[in-house]
Amino acid sequence: MAMKKIILAFLLPLFSISLQAEELAIIGNRKNHAKTLLPNQVQDIYMGRKHAFPDGKIALPIDQASLRSDFYEKLTTKPIAQINAYWARIMFSGQSSPPMILPDDSSVIKAITENEGAIGYINKANINKHVHVLLILK
Amino acid sequence: MCICLSFLHTPITTAEDKPSIFSIKGFGTLAGTGTDSDLVGFRRDITKSKNTREAWDITNDSRLGIQINAKFTDTFNATIQWVARDHAGNFFEQNLDWAFLNWNIQPDLTLRVGRLGADVFMLSDYRNVSYAYPWIRPPHEFYANQPYYHFDGIDITKKFEIDGGFLSLKAFGGYSSNQLPTSLDILFEQDSLNFGGNIQFEKNDWRVKLSYAHLEMLAEIPFGHYKNTDLPVEQFINPASYETLNSFWPGISRVLPNIFIKGKQVNYASIGTTYDDGIWLAQAEASYTETNTIWYPDQASGYLNIGRRFSTVTLYSLFGIAKSLNKPISIPRPPSGIDEFNTAYNLLDMAINGNGVDEKSISAGLRWDFYTNMAFKAQWSHFWLGRKGDRTWVTSPSTLYPDHVNVFSVGVDFIF
Repeated sequence: MAMKKIILAFLLPLFSISLQAEELAIIGNRKNHAKTLLPNQVQDIYMGRKHAFPDGKIALPIDQASLRSDFYEKLTTKPIAQINAYWARIMFSGQSSPPMILPDDSSVIKAITENEGAIGYINKANINKHVHVLLILK
Repeated sequence: MCICLSFLHTPITTAEDKPSIFSIKGFGTLAGTGTDSDLVGFRRDITKSKNTREAWDITNDSRLGIQINAKFTDTFNATIQWVARDHAGNFFEQNLDWAFLNWNIQPDLTLRVGRLGADVFMLSDYRNVSYAYPWIRPPHEFYANQPYYHFDGIDITKKFEIDGGFLSLKAFGGYSSNQLPTSLDILFEQDSLNFGGNIQFEKNDWRVKLSYAHLEMLAEIPFGHYKNTDLPVEQFINPASYETLNSFWPGISRVLPNIFIKGKQVNYASIGTTYDDGIWLAQAEASYTETNTIWYPDQASGYLNIGRRFSTVTLYSLFGIAKSLNKPISIPRPPSGIDEFNTAYNLLDMAINGNGVDEKSISAGLRWDFYTNMAFKAQWSHFWLGRKGDRTWVTSPSTLYPDHVNVFSVGVDFIF
């Protein structure tokens, strides 16, 4: 019993670290008027159904290569292959273009600080004072 | 990964670089198709010049599309889409599916002018983008007899947000010119004026669409093609000579007015729905076409698709049905002993009664998303061919076509 507790005590921090690493922060420019966004509002912007934030400002969604599958799975519960097929339909029927893709957290943060309407996602651990957190996706 | 995903780029400004106003994207399919009968030729749709018999060929479903977009301002852009594929007639012009200017008058109000995709079914206007749907090709019963990929004109779309869903209303109008092979072995340039609209509602995992189109035929069948033969073409196409002709061939003057298409109308209506929750997917469409020309007899068609995803593999089944609703027009037998009249009788019968569709099919297939932006597909379809018409197939007048045919296909879809 004691042994089990000790093992658990060692495993728990590992477990919580891995959980924390899976949390994604949806971030915007500090001038973004939205205090927070709801998951369905983020979904509408990322799926090209809406091109503006609730206050009417044009939204520029940014994808991130290494977190893309995880992000869409959390946001829409759909596999990335289906998201790609969805965008093929929207894009090749001339309706809209998918978000641009940047390679990592730092490039996403940089683009967001430079573009007032930009919205992106990063690991929660990398949030800094230059960006505004709109939603945490678990 | 980044190279594969580079198609997803849209312009965004950063301090260092100024993005180009142009973006280029593409899609394609490389697929082989074969059948188990050499008595009937299978073709994806009636715009195709070639058909597939027993031997495997790659012209049926393979295609390569390029889409170029130029973004001049936030509200003004232009798009061209050209798709290399087997299409009867002018390879460059007929395969130019889009070339339009797009103006977003308001965020939810869009006006487009130029060559536009025909938008009257669920696969508008991505029929050629196989990567965007589960099957190897659009359901045959619904799409094979549908030659309209594009028209030159104008459309206007207004979007509304209602109860967490998105409603869009679209109206369009213009001129279309489709070059089609015919059962008479001549190329028919089918010119028409068309107008119509659609209503689409999208919410959560559902999308529903209602469409309507009206076509006014502007061009006549190229009867001149037969002027150098022994056929009495002039008498057939000149109503003034019908009475004289009738004295040689009793009853023929009653039938002949049917052969003209110029000035005739086609009304088309369809309803479609699609469901996709990430695991299960389903799609169904039904259409009704009403006309006053024998070249497009009244027709009803529909299909139902159900599929399920298992990780990167999607298994699906598809059932389709299409049937012409017209009654055959009986053509009086020509007087015996005149060969030209016998040939004319056969041609008239083919022209007047050979444009129907009558088929059912069941398909099973799989799609495997084996790599980013690429999918492998395999599909088997079993068709039952009825006797009311074979327009969507290629048959020969001298051979009876079979009641059943199996069509097998494998292919790879990609986008870039």
